[in-house]
Amino acid sequence: MEMTDLEDIAMQDAIEEEEGTQFKIDKENGGTANSGIMKRDLNINELDEWISYLMKCETLSENNVVQLCDLAKSILQKEENVRNVNVPVTICGDIHGQFHDLLELFKIGGPAPDTNYLFMGDYVDRGYYSVESVSLLIALKCRYPDRITILRGNHESRQITQVYGFYDECLRKYGSANVWKLFTDLFDYLPITALVDNKIFCLHGGLSPMIETIDQIRDLNRLQEVPHEGPMCDLLWSDPDDRGGWGISPRGAGFTFGQDISEQFNHTNDLELVARAHQLVMEGYAWSHGENVVTIFSAPNYCYRCGNQAAIMEVDENHNRQFLQYDPSIRPGEPSVTRKTPDYFL
Amino acid sequence: MSQDLRRKLILKQLDKLNNNEEIPNSNLDTLGQLPSFPKKSISKEKQHTRNLKNDALQLPSWKDFFTKNEVVTLKDRNFQFNTYFTLPTSHKNNSVTYSENLTTSSSTADCTIPIYIFHHGAGSSGLSFANLAKEVYERSSGKCGCFSFDARGHGKTVPIDPTKPISYGREIFVQDFKSLITWFYQTQLIEIFSSKQNEKKHISLILVGHSLGGSICTFVHPSLDKMIRSHVLGVAMFDIVEEAAILALEKVDHFLKNTPNAFNSYEDAIGWYMKHKLSRTKTSAEIAVPSLFAPVEGDTSQVTRITNLKDFSPYWSTWFTDLSHSFVTLPTAKLLILAGDDRLDKELIIGQMQGKYQLVVFQDSGHFIQEDSPMKTALTLLEFWKRNDNTNVIIKSNWGSSTNKNQ
Repeated sequence: MEMTDLEDIAMQDAIEEEEGTQFKIDKENGGTANSGIMKRDLNINELDEWISYLMKCETLSENNVVQLCDLAKSILQKEENVRNVNVPVTICGDIHGQFHDLLELFKIGGPAPDTNYLFMGDYVDRGYYSVESVSLLIALKCRYPDRITILRGNHESRQITQVYGFYDECLRKYGSANVWKLFTDLFDYLPITALVDNKIFCLHGGLSPMIETIDQIRDLNRLQEVPHEGPMCDLLWSDPDDRGGWGISPRGAGFTFGQDISEQFNHTNDLELVARAHQLVMEGYAWSHGENVVTIFSAPNYCYRCGNQAAIMEVDENHNRQFLQYDPSIRPGEPSVTRKTPDYFL
Repeated sequence: MSQDLRRKLILKQLDKLNNNEEIPNSNLDTLGQLPSFPKKSISKEKQHTRNLKNDALQLPSWKDFFTKNEVVTLKDRNFQFNTYFTLPTSHKNNSVTYSENLTTSSSTADCTIPIYIFHHGAGSSGLSFANLAKEVYERSSGKCGCFSFDARGHGKTVPIDPTKPISYGREIFVQDFKSLITWFYQTQLIEIFSSKQNEKKHISLILVGHSLGGSICTFVHPSLDKMIRSHVLGVAMFDIVEEAAILALEKVDHFLKNTPNAFNSYEDAIGWYMKHKLSRTKTSAEIAVPSLFAPVEGDTSQVTRITNLKDFSPYWSTWFTDLSHSFVTLPTAKLLILAGDDRLDKELIIGQMQGKYQLVVFQDSGHFIQEDSPMKTALTLLEFWKRNDNTNVIIKSNWGSSTNKNQ
């Protein structure tokens, strides 16, 4: 195996540790029997090859997805529920399978690993290229584990992806649900929050009435399907609201939280800011709660029809923040997905 | 033309049926002694009220699903509305049997009493909700109430003076619905909740509409009297999306051409609906489909369709316009259940992605969600009520030592 830089060493460590804990994982999650062999075959050149392939919006073979997910699992399971991230970093919101816009994001924000990235979840569903988008992000995560952070969104879930497109897309592109299962099993390992230089708290959804301090997140068992209730659910589902206090979320999961809650949370945890995604905002980013909370949404013209801009937030070494907005990428044209209208709709 | 004449004849017949058979039976129940669906007594009642037609012997009756069937004459609407309802029976016993899976918890003693008010879609009938109403009632241990009815032009609802011009525009349906909700509230609900036993109880109205009925629920909300509107906890729409509905209207002619208006028997009609997957659950089809047809006069088991969807075509353009925007901006809790897949239009996608309403997709259901998936739908509706039961939901928090009460 050729090792060329620090990242490679990190990966090597991860692989070794993975092998050490292999038995436990297999026992708990029914890991693939041949994964041990395949992992040893993976090297940096191969990963680079995959990444350049994925950058062209191609899909990996099913076998390669097995290898990729195994490697990713070994890296992600070492990450804490609250992943510490250093500045500079560029923070991104929902992607939702809009692959060409993800490439646009890398053009605007700079290529990985020149730019460090923190993605706050929702890589799959609704867009036409969930497989390619999530494969690329996971491959980048494996290639540059310390420069890329990928958190879990509420769509990184078995249940949600069966309804909103990722499951069907896997079935369409691979002829079976195997790849969907590999990815959704991997999603259980994604960290749920990140802390940028102890000052910016990043997560997909929002705050939870059961989580007053960041330390309480560290105690959660995240290795599970996104639950329907409880703190882990809230972190992935909640929204800030104009009303104060906690509120019932109209979404049917998570809660709404007011400015008083955000202020208290930031004060208690000595934070500057909560950065989150989850909600479509027309300018790609939106401040709320007197700059205690920022929403970042990185899927321009969401679902190819919402007409919104996208944005990412750069945080430099001195904690200066800058928003970069962008419009949908120009592309040869989306595959014509005919939406069948029902015969009877009265 | 001849078909229309025949239809009118049948409607007249139906009118007779309404007045002579169903109503006297239904009035036997008094408010204090509502049966709570004991299964044995239902089957006895079944024998009594069975239609005399041979082919209908095996079919269920409205009594298997609701406790009351009343004709409500609204002179200012020029219609006699055929209504079905069940009032909540077990106010004392507040135990709710469905699984509680919210972080929110509320003391059951403080819960409101949920009343589900249903509005069917075009070409359907009040009994489309029969199975769902029964599920919801039973799963809440008799704690909730249900109200359903045949909209104008449907089922056993008939005009008082058929010579007067009849409109099927959305606003007309909305006004009918408003009048019926008001009637139900003033004549049935108030009485129950002013009793001493329940004086501290509040009722929550949940408006539930399928398809066109969803549009009517959305548009009736702002037009309700202030006092009644203050009781509305939420609006639920079943399988209706403005953009897709308007597109589908272009195909209605094609659909109508391929849909028979007469069958040799009720069983044939049920069989056809099942075969074409318009109704996928037999127990629902057996009560919902026959209500769309009336027996043909004479010594025959033949049945013919009551509603002529073509009569409605001049009004189609009014039915769904501005629905998505209006739904998303309703100042109440909102639930949208879709069948099959999520085919939201722009307004609904933005609304959903901004967390303005709850979206649920039943992939294994056809368009008639309440008929195809009555159990899942009942659970979703009960959870929707429970979750949004504003006055009482207390959000548990471990922040400091305080408990935050929802505002």
